[in-house]
Amino acid sequence: MEYAVESIDLSKAYGSNVALDGLNLKVREGEIIVLLGPNGSGKTTFLQLISTVLKPSGGTAIVMGHDIVGEPLKVRQVATISFQDPRGFWRHKPSHILSFHASMYGVPGQNRRELVERTLKEFDLWDSREKKFMHLSGGQAKRLEVAKLFVHRPRLAIFDEPTTMVDLDGKRTIWDKIKQLREEGSTVIVATNEVREAEYLADRITIFAKGREVVTDSLSNLKDSVRGGDVVDIEFAQPVTRAMVDELSSVRGTAKVSLVAEGRLRVQVNRSEDWLPEVTRRVYSMGVKLSSIKVTEPSLDDVFMQYTGGGGP
Amino acid sequence: MMKAGLGTMASLLAFDLREAFDSPLWVAYFWLFFAFQFAVYGSLMSRLVVSMDHYLFYYGTGLIVLLSFNVASWAGRRFVESAHEGRLRYLLSLPLGRNELFFEQVVLGVAVNLSRVMPPLVFVLWASHLLTAGALLYSVLVLSLTAVGIIGLMVSLSVIAFRSFDMYSAIVAAASALLIRFSTLYYPVSSMTPAYGDVASANPLSYGADLFRAVIGLDVSPLLDPRVALAVMLALCVGTVFMGTFFMSRMVEGVKSS
Repeated sequence: MEYAVESIDLSKAYGSNVALDGLNLKVREGEIIVLLGPNGSGKTTFLQLISTVLKPSGGTAIVMGHDIVGEPLKVRQVATISFQDPRGFWRHKPSHILSFHASMYGVPGQNRRELVERTLKEFDLWDSREKKFMHLSGGQAKRLEVAKLFVHRPRLAIFDEPTTMVDLDGKRTIWDKIKQLREEGSTVIVATNEVREAEYLADRITIFAKGREVVTDSLSNLKDSVRGGDVVDIEFAQPVTRAMVDELSSVRGTAKVSLVAEGRLRVQVNRSEDWLPEVTRRVYSMGVKLSSIKVTEPSLDDVFMQYTGGGGP
Repeated sequence: MMKAGLGTMASLLAFDLREAFDSPLWVAYFWLFFAFQFAVYGSLMSRLVVSMDHYLFYYGTGLIVLLSFNVASWAGRRFVESAHEGRLRYLLSLPLGRNELFFEQVVLGVAVNLSRVMPPLVFVLWASHLLTAGALLYSVLVLSLTAVGIIGLMVSLSVIAFRSFDMYSAIVAAASALLIRFSTLYYPVSSMTPAYGDVASANPLSYGADLFRAVIGLDVSPLLDPRVALAVMLALCVGTVFMGTFFMSRMVEGVKSS
């Protein structure tokens, strides 16, 4: 099986509001794929469709070899979702919730207690194990929501904004646990609004906009795809001349050249690693001395802006 | 290894029962409510209604069916609330069939119903000198049958709630009021005006109440025919369970949080 998830023209509409519009997305087995997109771009709808919580209006998806329309129960046996906002179990305690969750996935009773205890400790919930859910803080409730997936380790683990409301230490713990899940063989899908989270976790990133997949690629390829995304600041040992600017502008991959001071140029290029050797060769042949070169790569924000036209992830 | 369907259903039922019995005070309040109704209003009404002997016990049995109706309605409403509180989408993501989820809701409702009405039931049977193992067993069966019918109806109506919770509340409140008032819960058909009696005779709750009275051994002369009542209650159960499973498998989804 090459793909853990393959959606085929997957659509979801609420009346005239199209939340997902004919999505064709492939998730490779054993990877962490991060879905990034503005609010309302269809990320959560996609996750709830492939976990069979929602029913598609059109198309389908194959999850671990099972059709979400024809074999939803089989899909639910291999895929588990951690929801965006943890709610609904007001009168239960964290230990009961995790134990129940484990029991639903067939974790034997004798292992369950130990597993639940370990998971509560790993997610810093052990001291709150006897509190009712309604008395947990937002961050604790969110950690509990994420922790559910670690008591049975599904083949497909789906996280919808796994670290919202969680403090910095908690975020790092969750990220490391998600990576561990992948290392132990699970395929992981994460929807997030946090660029840092995407950068930390993703093997590949899919950018969503208006219910559609805009692009899917690795982080480095996405950054390289930003036209003029690399910014190279060059400081010369002499004032910049018109001839120097023209020479740099003629190098392949140059997007824009700006004079920022008497002896300094800022050049936006497509791929600095291809551009720099050629530039240093030309500058050397012109007999011009360089004082310093500083390269700044585009951020994921820049990638996002290029593909969605703004709106913020 | 994944658990079989019945195993996951049992796990969910145990989890839900733990929550349902989390507040013993609430259960005690429920019994207190019954005791107050029976002692105060029952006594008062038995002085007002002079056309029947032992009206107090007639009233008491009606009250038990009313409690059963209320608990069954609660079970249906709980399903709707679980959708709006974000609990349903979690349940829908679990390795549990939609029909099993529906039946779990029904069994939960019946179990909670019995836990709530059993002490009042035993008390009324004892006070009316009708307490026998057979009467207890049959009344449990009839009350459970009534509860299943009502839960199935309420869960089926939840489809409305997924569009508008306010509309659902209004419809359920209106339907409940009509079902209770135009029924034989408090008065037999024989003591009603013909028009009122016709409406009550078309009300499934009347058949539930009168079937309950018949099986515990109350005088059947003012009651609806027990054989017809049994047929109506069975039809109600089968109909609403069929409708509930249909809606559950075809239409129920995790409601978008609002």
